[in-house]
Amino acid sequence: MDEIKIIELAKSGDRKAMASLVKMYEKTVYNFAFKICRDRDKAENIMQETFLSVVKSLHQFDGNSKLSTWLYRIVTNHCLMEARKFKNRHFVSIDDDEDGMYENKQVVDWSSVPYKSTENIELRKILDEAISKLSPEYRMVFLLRDVEEFSTEETAKIAELSVPAVKSRLHRARAFLRNEINEAFRK
Amino acid sequence: MKKEEISCKEVIHHICESLGEDLNSEKCIAIKSHLDECANCKNYFQTVEVTIDWYKKYNIELPDEAHNRLMSLLKLNDQEK
Repeated sequence: MDEIKIIELAKSGDRKAMASLVKMYEKTVYNFAFKICRDRDKAENIMQETFLSVVKSLHQFDGNSKLSTWLYRIVTNHCLMEARKFKNRHFVSIDDDEDGMYENKQVVDWSSVPYKSTENIELRKILDEAISKLSPEYRMVFLLRDVEEFSTEETAKIAELSVPAVKSRLHRARAFLRNEINEAFRK
Repeated sequence: MKKEEISCKEVIHHICESLGEDLNSEKCIAIKSHLDECANCKNYFQTVEVTIDWYKKYNIELPDEAHNRLMSLLKLNDQEK
């Protein structure tokens, strides 16, 4: 059965169809939430909140966008709400120091780094630490555009930002993460 | 899937368009000559690409218990079969 049919059945109250929709997207939602908050418990909590919203509001889904786009908008909102609970947490400011991000700092030869697989715990730690320093607003744009491969326009819609704001946040986030990883390799 | 072939001219065109510059402007000619020779820029683009690739591949498994808790919360656990 195709997705449109399943959505229609779920909207009409078919619980089996709703269960199918949840199973189709739960891994995606859980992984995206984890990528934003870097914490398995929080990711599970966000996944639960997201699907509670889906069950409650599926009747409002008009089919003008893809269901996945609609879902990402919901999970993104829940991730931001979760992040705002920790207002006092300090994130590195990358709004002003654009020149610093492109300075010719000593670049390590990444091809000589021994742990290049993302299954490697050392590399995972470096990736976690680097992205945790970015504020959730930047993380979100990087993950939607580069990792989940939404277009700039779709990312802007999901994150409720203008297209120039997405572009600006994206290139700053990319440069920041690349520099943080490079610094970690230098140690 | 075959990767899209892109010429140097297209790269420069894209950069210059983003800058609002004409392809033959002084700025664009300087960018082209810089990109031809700059190992630093080449390294920058390669390492950004690797960075994105690592974050893309870094996924975690959804534990069975988390799936079960979700289905119970949504009262859909009787619809599993």
